[in-house]
Amino acid sequence: MTEEATMIIDDLCIPGTQSTPDIRTDGAAGRIFMQGDSYPENTLELFGPVISWVERYLETGDRPLTLELRLIYLNTSSIKAMMDIFDLLEVAHGKSRIVAVTWYYDSRNERVAELAGEFREDCSFPFDIQPRND
Amino acid sequence: MPPDRRPLDDIIEDLLADSQYEGHPLRDALNRLWTQSRDHLNRLERIAHISDGYQKMAFDQTISLQQRYDRELRRLEKAVRISDRYQDMMRELNNALQDASTRDHLTGLANRRMLVDQLKMETQRAERQGHSYTLAMLDVDHFKQVNDLYGHDLGDRALIEVAGAMQRALREYDLCGRWGGEEFLILLPQTSIGAACSVIERVRESLQRKPMPGEAPGTGIKITASIGLAEHQPGEGFSDTVNRADEALLEAKRAGRDCYRLA
Repeated sequence: MTEEATMIIDDLCIPGTQSTPDIRTDGAAGRIFMQGDSYPENTLELFGPVISWVERYLETGDRPLTLELRLIYLNTSSIKAMMDIFDLLEVAHGKSRIVAVTWYYDSRNERVAELAGEFREDCSFPFDIQPRND
Repeated sequence: MPPDRRPLDDIIEDLLADSQYEGHPLRDALNRLWTQSRDHLNRLERIAHISDGYQKMAFDQTISLQQRYDRELRRLEKAVRISDRYQDMMRELNNALQDASTRDHLTGLANRRMLVDQLKMETQRAERQGHSYTLAMLDVDHFKQVNDLYGHDLGDRALIEVAGAMQRALREYDLCGRWGGEEFLILLPQTSIGAACSVIERVRESLQRKPMPGEAPGTGIKITASIGLAEHQPGEGFSDTVNRADEALLEAKRAGRDCYRLA
């Protein structure tokens, strides 16, 4: 596949609300950004397009994909959606694709770091958990 | 002739191949029986083969379903585990917020918001059950001078000491909180003003007994307080009761401080 092929995927730009995170994808840079709380009324509606985007991005080309997460609270179905995304990354990693996750957390709330650690357990690709002081 | 011990298949094949039996009616019959038997055998084998195939497919399917089920179960367990921990986090956060919104940060006593909530509840209860409560408004004497002379750190410590002294003297069901600055409000539920006096006496004694921290011997700061008491009257709003306690407090101040007055 050529680089152009990966560019065709339309980027997502979903502004955050009180109950949904800010979600932005950047196919050209191979980046996904998610920030905020997640307890949407319809999880599939929110995460469905994100999961499809990740699937399509990983199917086309061989460029790296990095996730930058600043998620705080996740309800159970959002947790499942994130596990689905990490599963896709794990499969891609198994096929030698370069994938990575960095999960930033507020240094005043160590609990978020512990939870990110739970997600990391089954992942063999690079998965960093970083404190932030802002 | 000894009995032929070779496999029946070989014997029949040999007999049919032997030219000396050519044209014999038994040979022809044997040949047809033989062919039929082979056919049956072939079909049986094919049926067994197909049946085995189906069985293997079903078996593989069961295995893969089992694996998928196990995998989903593990994922679900993990999601539930993480979810439980998120819930713990939210509960802790909730408690911290609850505490921050109802407690005075410096003294750990109830803040004004919590006092007002309790005053509303106690007023409703008093109206319903026909008994009254008494309020005591307490103001630390010459607090501004303590701050000016010894600094705000010691001023803060004085307030913490006053809070501790009050709590030690009060009954379990009394509530005291910081009304603002160096002013504290004590709510004595189901208590007449007469009964409240003895509780307030205990508060004053408790204050007198407690020396200020860090003071040099002989040069100590004596912390005293003036107090105004008012008993809730039927039909009266809680803010009116608070105002009357405030007026009684002013009287105590005018009377030279370190004492209490009744509204």
